[in-house]
Amino acid sequence: MTDTLKITARDVNVYYGAKQAIENVSIDIATEHVTSFIGPSGCGKSTFLRALNRMNDTIPGCRVTGEIKLDGEDIYVGDMDVVQLRARVGMVFQKPNPFPKSIYENVAYGPRIHGLAATKPDMDAIVEKSLRRAGLWDEAKDRLAEPGTALSGGQQQRLCIARAIAVSPEVILMDEPCSALDPIATAKIEELIDELKGRYAIVIVTHSMQQAARVSQKTAFFHLGKVVEYGDTSTIFTNPREERTKDYITGRYG
Amino acid sequence: MSNWHTPDANARLKRRYGAERRFKAVGLIAILLSLGFLAFLLVTMVANGVSGINWSFLSNSDSTDAATAGVWGSLKGSLLTMGVTLALSFPMGVCAAIYLEEFAPRQRWVDWVEVSINNLAAVPSVIFGLLGLAMFINVAGMPRSSALVGGVTLALMTMPVIVIAGRNAIKAVPPSIRDAALAVGASRVQTVFHHVLPLALPGILTGTIIGMARALGETAPLLMIGMRAFIATPASGVTDPTSVLPMQIFLWSDEVDQAFVRNTSAAIIVLLVFLLAMNGLAIYLRNKFETRW
Repeated sequence: MTDTLKITARDVNVYYGAKQAIENVSIDIATEHVTSFIGPSGCGKSTFLRALNRMNDTIPGCRVTGEIKLDGEDIYVGDMDVVQLRARVGMVFQKPNPFPKSIYENVAYGPRIHGLAATKPDMDAIVEKSLRRAGLWDEAKDRLAEPGTALSGGQQQRLCIARAIAVSPEVILMDEPCSALDPIATAKIEELIDELKGRYAIVIVTHSMQQAARVSQKTAFFHLGKVVEYGDTSTIFTNPREERTKDYITGRYG
Repeated sequence: MSNWHTPDANARLKRRYGAERRFKAVGLIAILLSLGFLAFLLVTMVANGVSGINWSFLSNSDSTDAATAGVWGSLKGSLLTMGVTLALSFPMGVCAAIYLEEFAPRQRWVDWVEVSINNLAAVPSVIFGLLGLAMFINVAGMPRSSALVGGVTLALMTMPVIVIAGRNAIKAVPPSIRDAALAVGASRVQTVFHHVLPLALPGILTGTIIGMARALGETAPLLMIGMRAFIATPASGVTDPTSVLPMQIFLWSDEVDQAFVRNTSAAIIVLLVFLLAMNGLAIYLRNKFETRW
C-alpha cells in the first residue's frame, strides 16, 4: 500500500509562554488512514492537533517551532495564508458548537465566505452533499430552516462535521468529538469517521482507547508532551514496543 | 432511625426558616422604599402638570408668557442633540469595544487604555461641559448653544458607557463560536462581524440606550456650552441655537411667575415619557434579538 503523506511534522515544539507543551514531535499523517492521538490528560495531544491548522494562533503567548508541512508546504512560513490553511484543514471540536443560525446557514457559511458556490442551487447542492456525507440529511432535510442549536447533541456534532466538510477540506481534525455524546451518538460518529476515511485525512484525539482501536489505523501515544510511540493501531494495542505505552493501554495509569 | 426529628434539629430548622422570612422582609422593604419615592415623584408631577399638557404646549416653544410657552423647541433640540450623540458615540464606542476585546494585543498600553476608559465613564459631567467649551467652541469654532456642540459633548460622555457595555456583551459570546468560525477559514474580522457582533448586539444596544437615556437627562455639561439661553424659535438644524428638555425644566423652575410651576411639571412628564420610551425600546430590542441557545 502506498500512502500519500498529507501532513509531515518534524521536530515540532509548542510553547505556552515559557512552558513547553510539545517536545520534538515528528509524525506523518496519510490520507488513507484515520490517525488517532491518545494519552493521559494534559499530555499535549490537543495542543499538537491545534498546531496542525494553527488554531493555536489565537492563544496569546503560544509559539510553535519546527516544521509542519501540508502537501510539502510549510504551514508556519510567511506565504501560507492561515485562512486558506483552515479551509484545507477543517476542525471539529470537543463540544458541538453550531452557530446559533439555521441548519442550512451553518453548513453554507464556510462555502459562502470562500466563494465556493456561485448560485443558490450550487449552494443547495453543497449543503445537501455535506449533510449527506455527515449522515444528517435524512434527519435534517425537512428542517433546514430550524436553528442548528435545536438539534440533539449527536446531531449537532454531525452538523459540525457537515460544516467542516462543506468547504472541501483535505484534512479533518477532531478534538475528542464524542466526549460530550452518549454511546449511541458516539457509535454514529464512529461509523461516519469510517465512511469519511480515505476521502479526507482524519486525525482524532480521543480519551477512549476503545475508540482509538475501533476507528483508527494509526495511533500515536502522547505522554508529557512527547510522542512515546507511533505506529499501526493494531501493533500499538496488541504488541507495543514501549513499556509506558503498554502500561497506559492496559489501564495502569492515565 | 436517624436523628432528624429531635427537638434540636427542629429548632435549627425553625431558625433557618426565620432567617429566610427576615431576609424576604428586608428585601421587600428595600423595594417598597425605592418604588415609593418613584411613585411620589410621578404622582406629584402628574397632579401638577397633567393639566398643562395639551396640543399647544407640545407644539409651541419657549415664551415669556406661561400660557403660551411650550416644549416643542426644547423637545426638538433634545432630539437633534441625541441624534448627534448617537451618530458619534455608537460607531466609535462599538469599534473601540471590538478592538479592545478581539484585536488588541495584551500589552501595557492596552491596560492603560482600559483604565482610562473606565475612568472616563466616571468623570463628573460638568467637566465634560468645560472640555466641550474649551475644545469644540473655542478651538474648533462650533456654534455656541447648538445641538451640534451639545451632541458632541454628550457623545464624549456616552462613548465610555457604550464601550464598557459593548465589551461585556462581546466577552459574553462563547469562545466556541469564535473557534467554529475560525476553523472553517473565516478571518478574524469576518468572525467578529458575522458571528460575535450579532450575538453581542442586544447587550450593546441595551448599553447604548442606557447611555443615551443618561445623556438625555444631562444638564450640567450643557450649561457650560451656553445652552441655557431663552430660545423662542425651534432650531431648524444642528447648528442653530437650541434648548433641550432638561434645560427647559431648569429654566422654568427658576421663573418667578407661579404659572410656570405647571409648565415645569408638564415638561418633566414629557421628559419622563421620553425616557420610559427609550427604556422600553431597550427591553424590546433585547428580547427581539436575544439568541436562545
